[in-house]
Amino acid sequence: MWDLALKNIMRNRTRTILTTLGILIGIGAIVALGSIAEGLDAAIQSGLELTAGKITVMDAESSLFGMGGELTLEDVALIEGLSGVKEVVPMNWHAENIQMFQGPEWVAVGVPPDKVEYLIGENTQFEEGRIFEEGETEVAIIGKAISERYNAHVGDTWEIKGKFFEIVGVTEETGISDIDSSIAVPFDDMQDILDSEEFQMMYVIPDNVKDTEKVANEIEEASDKFNALTSQELARQASQIVDQIRIFTFGIGAIAAFVGGLGVMNTMIMSVMERRKEIGVMKAIGATNRMVLQQIITESALISLIGGLGGILLGILGSVLLSNVIGGGQITATVTPQLALTGLSFALFLGIIGGLYPARKASQLDPVEALRYE
Amino acid sequence: MNKKAAKAEKKGKECVIQTKGVMKCYGEEDKCVTTVLQDVDICIEKGNFVSIMGPSGSGKTTLLDIIGCLLKPTQGDVFIDGVRTAELSDDELALIRREKIGFVFQQYNLIQSATALENVSIAMRIAGKSSWEARDKAKRLLEMVGLKDRLNNRPSELSGGEQQRVAIARSLANDPKIILGDEPTGNLDTKTGQVVLNILKKLNEEEGYTIVVVTHDSRIAQYTDKIINLLDGRVSREDHPNNHNHVKGLKSTKKKGGD
Repeated sequence: MWDLALKNIMRNRTRTILTTLGILIGIGAIVALGSIAEGLDAAIQSGLELTAGKITVMDAESSLFGMGGELTLEDVALIEGLSGVKEVVPMNWHAENIQMFQGPEWVAVGVPPDKVEYLIGENTQFEEGRIFEEGETEVAIIGKAISERYNAHVGDTWEIKGKFFEIVGVTEETGISDIDSSIAVPFDDMQDILDSEEFQMMYVIPDNVKDTEKVANEIEEASDKFNALTSQELARQASQIVDQIRIFTFGIGAIAAFVGGLGVMNTMIMSVMERRKEIGVMKAIGATNRMVLQQIITESALISLIGGLGGILLGILGSVLLSNVIGGGQITATVTPQLALTGLSFALFLGIIGGLYPARKASQLDPVEALRYE
Repeated sequence: MNKKAAKAEKKGKECVIQTKGVMKCYGEEDKCVTTVLQDVDICIEKGNFVSIMGPSGSGKTTLLDIIGCLLKPTQGDVFIDGVRTAELSDDELALIRREKIGFVFQQYNLIQSATALENVSIAMRIAGKSSWEARDKAKRLLEMVGLKDRLNNRPSELSGGEQQRVAIARSLANDPKIILGDEPTGNLDTKTGQVVLNILKKLNEEEGYTIVVVTHDSRIAQYTDKIINLLDGRVSREDHPNNHNHVKGLKSTKKKGGD
């Protein structure tokens, strides 16, 4: 019946195309917006690789992304005194030129020079130059993505709020955006720039990776001020947030798609009315109510499926555009197969729901009445 | 009960269509407001060409709809090829229409957006035949009614007579036993009407189809084996015209292959 359905929906091309567009735009919105959530998820997942085996300590009052917070060097000393703690790495940062939707142009993170490997990754190799030496000041290590974007290399100078840093190293490309897009500078220099003794976050490295959970508990017990998160805990929290974003973006797109679904319903009602007589003939020559029902639903599902497929293409296009706009290229909005399937399923769902009422009406047409209808 | 129907029954003749005490009325719920048919007992024998005549409002179209399983009688029984249809569901009736009955309407009732070939194929698609099988047979049927060169024309590109011939081809699609015509020549001029009538007559005489037509044209009725006259919803008379042997121009059209 699919061939007949295709024939039927192509009778009024303009109407079918316009109806399809309604679904196409809705599903496009679901896929494009959803791709941001997927991109964010991927970015967070890759960022979490960096924190594997580390405990992230933040001020209990601050949010997951380390906004706010008032940690001090005394807190560092307190945690260093706990058993099972190998290293405590305080971090402070400056985000340059934050813009709505785009995020910051770049982020410079201050870290004690002798502990910089915990920021850039213990196993990361250098493409150019070297790692910090202990006690060094006014030096910077930049990630590969930063180096490429700003054409900055070893020997060049990087300016952060009027303070100049000599680039001494460029790290290799790791695929982890937190490393590739980072600028590491000495902690003390960043304190000067920020004009603040306080900072927002620290990494705690346990002596033994197996004790991560235990050490995290100890830290939280040491002071109410601390919120110690293991990478598993971070992953859990992050995925909760990503799920919320997923639901939110789907919700926005779904509204648009739902309007498209009403369009499908409207088109099918019109189509059934126009074809009253024809449906009567079909029934007279032996089509059962069920066959008529299936025929109309197939037609409306077909319109929606075409719209859904177009919507996925539109969504992919949209995700490419959004990648360039949102997060300054740090988040790659991605259309995952799962997201595409969600879009297509939703289109099909709308098609079937939208077709149900007109199909029911059509199937219940009295052939005698329909045949004599002029 | 009508005398002739009773007589036919006594003789043990095979009624491919039989009605017993059929009454049809329209109204709300149990209240009968307008009675369209009353006490209709007819027997149409296998292989007969029968016409139903009567003035407007005599109930002839309603009777045809009931025979055609498009409409259920309010009271009485209808047997189509031995099957009692009164208690069948909508879907079961659809199955009877599909398998045992072919319809030809005054308004042709072709699907305007479909070609002649598609109009005939669709009946077979409904019966579950494959698209290729349906096309193949539709082609043969259209050739049989003389539309070999019009397979891919839409109804709007065909004359009335041609459209009605497409409708006849469609009615034959699922090898029915019975062909029902509702004023099949009513929209055609005399000459074209004659062509259509010849085809029906040929189907009756050479292929053994039982054919029932509703008409108000007594000249057409004269070609049939039996005329059932309706008046005010009752069978008023049954006639047997004597000249049912010859229809002009029919002798030359011999059956060629086909089904």
